[in-house]
Amino acid sequence: MKVRPLVGFWGGPAAVFGVALAARVALIFYGLYQDRTLVVKFTDIDYRVFTDGARLVMEGRSPYRRATYRYTPLLAWLLTPNISLSELFGKFLFVSCDLLTGFLMFRLLLLTGLSPSRACGYSSWWLLNPLPLVVSSRGNAESLIAALVLTALYLLERRNVVWAALVYGLAVHMKVYPVTYLLPIALYLQTASGELEKDRSKSRVWGLARRLWNRDVLLFGVVAGLTFFTLGLVFYYRYGWEFLEHTYLYHLTRRDIRHNFSPYFYMLYLTAESKWSFSLGLAAFLPQLLLLVVVSFAYYRDLAFCCFLHTAIFVSFNKVCTSQYFLWYLCLLPLVMPQMRMSWKRAILLLGLWFMGQALWLAPAYFLEFQGKNTFLLIWLAGLLFLFINCYILIQIISHYQLGKLAKKIKSQ
Amino acid sequence: MNFVHLYSRNTNCSEIILLQEIVKDGFHRDLLIKVKLGTSIENSPTCSVLIKHHLPTGLYVDPYELASLQEHNVTEAMIIQNTVDLEAPEYLSKEFDVFVYAKSDSQCSECFKTFLPVHCRYHQPEEKEQRAFVMVKNPELFVRCYNDFPSLNCWKQSDVEAPCSMKNKHLCKWSSVKYQSVNQNVILQVPVGLKVHHFLVCVVTMLVTILCSGLIFRAVLKHSHFSL
Repeated sequence: MKVRPLVGFWGGPAAVFGVALAARVALIFYGLYQDRTLVVKFTDIDYRVFTDGARLVMEGRSPYRRATYRYTPLLAWLLTPNISLSELFGKFLFVSCDLLTGFLMFRLLLLTGLSPSRACGYSSWWLLNPLPLVVSSRGNAESLIAALVLTALYLLERRNVVWAALVYGLAVHMKVYPVTYLLPIALYLQTASGELEKDRSKSRVWGLARRLWNRDVLLFGVVAGLTFFTLGLVFYYRYGWEFLEHTYLYHLTRRDIRHNFSPYFYMLYLTAESKWSFSLGLAAFLPQLLLLVVVSFAYYRDLAFCCFLHTAIFVSFNKVCTSQYFLWYLCLLPLVMPQMRMSWKRAILLLGLWFMGQALWLAPAYFLEFQGKNTFLLIWLAGLLFLFINCYILIQIISHYQLGKLAKKIKSQ
Repeated sequence: MNFVHLYSRNTNCSEIILLQEIVKDGFHRDLLIKVKLGTSIENSPTCSVLIKHHLPTGLYVDPYELASLQEHNVTEAMIIQNTVDLEAPEYLSKEFDVFVYAKSDSQCSECFKTFLPVHCRYHQPEEKEQRAFVMVKNPELFVRCYNDFPSLNCWKQSDVEAPCSMKNKHLCKWSSVKYQSVNQNVILQVPVGLKVHHFLVCVVTMLVTILCSGLIFRAVLKHSHFSL
């Protein structure tokens, strides 16, 4: 999609970042006001959980004393200034990560050869987008992960493998979903096929294995693995089994049967206590896994696009899906947009379809939750429709994507 | 709302009337209690009323919501349990008690009311019934009066120690009293999934997800430089 350089008119990147910062800060202070005056709070419940966890670690206790604290203790440690300085510290931290994410997008787009004004135009899809704006000001930590993922991608682009691995290991420690990027990253770091001496071996798999056995891939694997396991061991030593249970196991085995966007929701609710529950869960996992592997091999040369597809597929086919998860791939969308040869009309149609899919789900969900009507079948059908819509959008993105300058640039390295 | 004044045969004290009702629909309800402490009071002493709800497994309260409501002076409630699992389904949950300090009801003298927002848990799917039923038993009622109050003696069943109020955590002596309830146990309905759908839902869900993954798979193979 071509973005006309409107941005040049009104001051360029500085203006966009300025507006983005101002809007977020304004919302933080508005949130302060709403929390004090209305019963319905602006601040997300998660933020209260983080703050309570921080309070506990300051007292030298385990943050897992706090019910529903299901994150790494690192987050509680990071937010201790919430207690010592001001309760707004965390929100300002998340807002900064938000802006950092936007900045990294901007830099990554510049690296692909876009002009600053165009790069800024695409980055403003994140910076001026209401969803990340509201999410960060409400105190959700999603922007932290987004910043870490984009930092890792940026460092990989600069071929700074050790630092990229460190940041990546940290990201996986904090939230498990970036672990799916391991295969594309390994493929991305492989030796270009021209560099090895002519491979006479018959097997392509053997050829691939040889190309993967190089300094960068090994370095990345070792450093990322060390980072992840060191952090894990330190916190396991300090907080015990609770750390593993709440930070990882809960998310991996989560059986939240309450209604959510996932197409599997009703199936899992009906089979929750039956003997089929485990095999169905596994069966649901297989299409996801297969797709992720195929996408990795198809698009690893364009790492940002590959990661975007990975996460979009992962979220759409996941057993639990809430609107918070959309941010995980939204932060990669501006990196993908320059390469898309799609008319504005089509893009707006797809966006409209996406919102419509959510609206069609929210309507029966409202009737179930607030009116007590039995709309389970409708919610299930809406979930299936939303999956269809997401897949259609992904297929449109895939078919209109041009492995353009970025891939050519990498191939020529 | 008319309170019927019943007089006990033996002594000259009127019965306490208690009305429990649930308002709103869906998974988020309000549990309201209205209490009227008899009318034969000459020099109306100031009494405090404490309600102890015994919530069934199908309901839960959100401690953080309660904390927020307390800040805004809407309701004062105390949960007798360390943690409440907000996500567990009904069959994996336990019953627990919630104490609510009543406020004066301006509708009539010696009237008190309490308000407790409750939430319904997910229940096991039923074979054919579209709803599951949750029964909320009548609560226990505790009264504490500052001056000497003869009627209290006819109502009183036993003495118990409980915090004086939400702000004052010292233990006070409360009297557990008997009362006449307007409705027998309140029943609320919660929508549930139907087991009848089981086969259809599983088959169609798996078909759709396999179809969708197949479509994406095909698109990827068609449009990319797929190579090992």
